[in-house]
Amino acid sequence: MEMLINGKLKKVEQRHEAGVSKQTGFPSPATHYLEPTINLHQELITNSDATFFVRVVGDSLAEFNIMANDVLIIDRSIHPKDNNLALIVDEGEFKIIRIPGCGLREEIMLWGVITYIIHCSR
Amino acid sequence: MIALVDCNSFYASCEQVFRPDLLGRPVVVLINNDGCIIAANKEAKALTNIPMFEPVFKIKKQLKENGVVFFSSNYTLYGEMSQRVINILNTFSPRVEIYSIDESFLDLSVVDYGTLESHGHRIRKTILRYTGLPVGVGIAKTKVLAKLANRMAKKIPEKNHVCVLDTEEKRLEALHWCHIKDVWGIGRKHRERLQKINVHTAYGFTQLPLAWVRKEMTVVGERTWRELRGETAMEFVTEPKLKKAIGTAKSFGKKLTDLGLIEEACSYYVMEVAEVLRNQNSCATRINVFLTTNYHSDIDKQYSNGITVTLALPTDSTFTLITEAKKALRRIYRPGYRYKKVGVNLLGIVPKHHVQGNLFQELSTSQSELTKIVDGLNTKFGKATVSSSMLGTRKRIKKWELIKAERSPRYTTQWGELLEIKL
Repeated sequence: MEMLINGKLKKVEQRHEAGVSKQTGFPSPATHYLEPTINLHQELITNSDATFFVRVVGDSLAEFNIMANDVLIIDRSIHPKDNNLALIVDEGEFKIIRIPGCGLREEIMLWGVITYIIHCSR
Repeated sequence: MIALVDCNSFYASCEQVFRPDLLGRPVVVLINNDGCIIAANKEAKALTNIPMFEPVFKIKKQLKENGVVFFSSNYTLYGEMSQRVINILNTFSPRVEIYSIDESFLDLSVVDYGTLESHGHRIRKTILRYTGLPVGVGIAKTKVLAKLANRMAKKIPEKNHVCVLDTEEKRLEALHWCHIKDVWGIGRKHRERLQKINVHTAYGFTQLPLAWVRKEMTVVGERTWRELRGETAMEFVTEPKLKKAIGTAKSFGKKLTDLGLIEEACSYYVMEVAEVLRNQNSCATRINVFLTTNYHSDIDKQYSNGITVTLALPTDSTFTLITEAKKALRRIYRPGYRYKKVGVNLLGIVPKHHVQGNLFQELSTSQSELTKIVDGLNTKFGKATVSSSMLGTRKRIKKWELIKAERSPRYTTQWGELLEIKL
């Protein structure tokens, strides 16, 4: 990248350095307000050692707003509450259910609580 | 007190986390071009009529008839799951010694844990809930005793996967229970020697005079002897030791005769070992390359050779190492053989900051800048995204790559290989 500085064409060095505008010499009024850009991983995942991503294939589950090809974020560390969506194993098969008020039947294995549904809208 | 946390049939368990339909079924994991079994879960180990150490092609029929499920090794998955376990262990103690991919020691002397028993169960439950992996916990005063406690946790069902040896009485009971062959650190040779003088349990071993142990079994045996008696003789290593040699050798997916393809495989292995080298901030002084045909074959002509080259300057540059490895390879390659395996070893490993230029050569900084950028790109976009052109193309890699026919998806590291939930 080249820039016009003092009427001469010069190569700008360190052009990834933010903070002070090199063109005008005026300090950015945002200098003291800079914050890190939003990081989705940080926002959506609270316990990364217990978090897994899975993809839904085949049919959709309209009543849970889960469509085919959606990616589910699953946190295994969360204790499920009534009405939470969860991934469970029933007779060796994965299923998605809403946790009933009476709790899970004993023979069902909870795999993890679904915390977010990632849906591609294009 | 020290805890040893160890994952039960780790590789098979990793597979079963994502395949709950296989829980309770015999599962084995294969290695080396799917040639033999390297891990089996307890259901598979229970099939004692199958000789699990035989090459897989000989026992495949038996495995299938017994409903054994087999996987090619998926080290990407196992490594990632192992890291999760280590991260969780770090929340239970500030001092964790990673002993292997599925075993770690925890220093519990620095934490307030309530009772040791409940602390052990807490560790076990947390790892199981977070990762789906079952672990056993052994807690005792020394490492060797913790290892013994861990064995009891695994073998004695009433212990419920957690065993604490916190009194003299329990320690002695454990020593009487433990066969000499199962004591950590006592190999086959010493075991046979001990059995000849009528020592069959860990307890018997601890009753031998120290002078005898020191003389017959060196300082290694002495350490084990002391630790079993409850005396700390092994240090707690929280910093991984620098490797003194880094090497890799894998059999080709099929036999190769073409020097070009062997060079590409060799270059790929150099890239892998050079990455390990840089991760520990070291340089290699020498590089060893070896090449071999299939010694198990009766029809092929046999040849094998190896060569070690001293580098002009110690280096960690993939590019320099590949150039030298190829020169070395050309000196040992003979046409007309069907080669099975090529391997590289980096030797004379020294810390990078100790490396000095010599009279004829200065240290090059441009190469290390390039290497840094390449490493950065590969971390971000995946292994070998950017590499030396000597590695050949992906299409050509298929010609020599290991056979991993039954490898499971890399569920936790590849967006394209996520666990699929079929509705």
